[in-house]
Amino acid sequence: MAFLELIDVVKHFGRHTAVQGFTLSAQEGELISFLGGSGCGKTTTLRMIAGFEVPTAGRILISGRDVVPVAPNRRGVGMVFQNYALFPNMTVARNIGFGLRVAGRPGSEISRRVDEMLELIHMSEFRERYPHQMSGGQQQRVALARALAIRPSVLLLDEPLSALDAKIRVRLRAEIRAIQRSLGITTIYVTHDQEEALSISDRIVVMKDGRIEQVGTPFEIYNRPATGFVASFIGSSNALRAVAVHPEQGTASVDGQEISAARPLPALAGQEVRLQIRPEAISLHNGVAHNNHLRGTLVNVVFLGSIVRLVVSTGGSELMLDMFNNPHLALPEVGSTVTVGFAPEACVPLETNGE
Amino acid sequence: MSTTMTARSFAAPGAAARRRKGWSSLWLVLGGLYFFLPLLATFLFSLHGKKGALSFIAYAHVFRDPEFLHTFSFSLEMAVVTIAAGLALMIPTAIWVNLRLPRARALIEVFALLPFVIPPIVLVFGLIRMYSRPPVMLVTSPVLLIAGYVVLSFPYIFRSVDAGLRAIDLRVLTEAAQSLGARWSTTLFRVVLPNIRVSVLSAAFLTFSIVVGELTLAVMLAWPAFGPYMALVGRDLAYEPAALAVISFLLTWGSLAVIQLASRGGRGQGPTAGGVH
Repeated sequence: MAFLELIDVVKHFGRHTAVQGFTLSAQEGELISFLGGSGCGKTTTLRMIAGFEVPTAGRILISGRDVVPVAPNRRGVGMVFQNYALFPNMTVARNIGFGLRVAGRPGSEISRRVDEMLELIHMSEFRERYPHQMSGGQQQRVALARALAIRPSVLLLDEPLSALDAKIRVRLRAEIRAIQRSLGITTIYVTHDQEEALSISDRIVVMKDGRIEQVGTPFEIYNRPATGFVASFIGSSNALRAVAVHPEQGTASVDGQEISAARPLPALAGQEVRLQIRPEAISLHNGVAHNNHLRGTLVNVVFLGSIVRLVVSTGGSELMLDMFNNPHLALPEVGSTVTVGFAPEACVPLETNGE
Repeated sequence: MSTTMTARSFAAPGAAARRRKGWSSLWLVLGGLYFFLPLLATFLFSLHGKKGALSFIAYAHVFRDPEFLHTFSFSLEMAVVTIAAGLALMIPTAIWVNLRLPRARALIEVFALLPFVIPPIVLVFGLIRMYSRPPVMLVTSPVLLIAGYVVLSFPYIFRSVDAGLRAIDLRVLTEAAQSLGARWSTTLFRVVLPNIRVSVLSAAFLTFSIVVGELTLAVMLAWPAFGPYMALVGRDLAYEPAALAVISFLLTWGSLAVIQLASRGGRGQGPTAGGVH
């Protein structure tokens, strides 16, 4: 049985629908990211789990118990906020021990738990500091320790790293994941950063306009996007416009050149279909055997450091392909005719209801 | 030539800055004289109570007058109750407006202007007319005086508390406290109030100043307050009113000093700066 369940959750703000038909089951110890752009409903959904917003319809179950009628302070849900939300009038130790003091735990237990939490976040020497005496990264670690100190049944993180600089973000997300794994706590992580979601999650929920676009593991979301939106939102990708030739066999025509996908196409013969191919799945035809080949003109070469991105025009479409950079890389001239190749498995037909 | 020009171009900003600083100092001195000279004159005048010598006799007269202590303690009592009533009314209101009813802010702003546009004499006549007959007879009760003081101090209390609440991230702090299991009362007393302490103190001292110096309500409702006492002394005596004015100034400055000390002492509403990563 799932530990955290959202069943057909809907949220309206006046006439605006923020979340619609949201259904999700999270297993105990799972870390699920809600990923999407601004206004997609990810934070609203998180706030409904926390109890700060009341769903217009639907149920939210934690360990089988419907928590919708339960006040936020009685849900046993820990929350970490984007801007840390540490209490400025309290030291680190008092911030971490706040939830336990409120619960009326004995002083010795509070002190022991605070020590444990400080050790967990490697900040024992910061015990008596005030929030304003620490950096953003340190404050967020304390906020995490404070949320965990009460031993919550579910941990909610609302874009916890978005106020931090890039290096700290990468380091802290690894720490958060390690702590989450070591405690085995069911966690919902809201982010608009796809790299963050891909690197930290057991599963990702991609959202758009209050709806779930796709739920899957990072591998599934990246390699088998269900919709055009997911394909375009996660990583770089080519969305080729093609005409279905033998849809059941997965063959389609791109500017008169036939290619095949590993899956049947969601269109009838003669209808337009969109095929998603990641730039790193395409290579210049240099003797490597590929089932799919497309001839075109090299229109641009972009140097991106560790990779070199080539843009090839097939006439009606443009394809990006990425090659690892190395000092001996010999690239064709811009304007020359090239052949690119890719495997049928790399060619993912997109659902027509997507972007 | 070029050396001269270079030297001049380097010298010019320095000279301009010096000129600006000179003007600033001049205006500061003039402002200081405008403020302190009358005060100094009042203080010096208050020392002339004894013919041919400088003395604190006027102050001694003031402190020896039983009416001083009586009226001052009455006003002090009224001020304390007004502060308590005003804060009890305004803090939840300001929190509610900030958290749940941001649209009500416009209405509250209008209410906050009313004590400035309605003269106290009009207010007190309205109060007397309203509460001097059944069903609510309050005209002989200090409750009516306190209610009037709360109305007069409303803009100051609300604006101070509201400014304090806006300076902290009220919504997130309250939600953080709630997610940790805190009830509303716990959140208010352990999280919100300590973080707006300076604003609350500021509201309290502004209210204190208003109540202690207030004349119209106290006279019209016939209460032995400090304001009417000062007016009476000013009418009948020469040096004692000057001594009272100086004492009032000292009380106000003392209040401001307490606010300053309180704002330095704690962590609430303190600066936020990042440390090392």
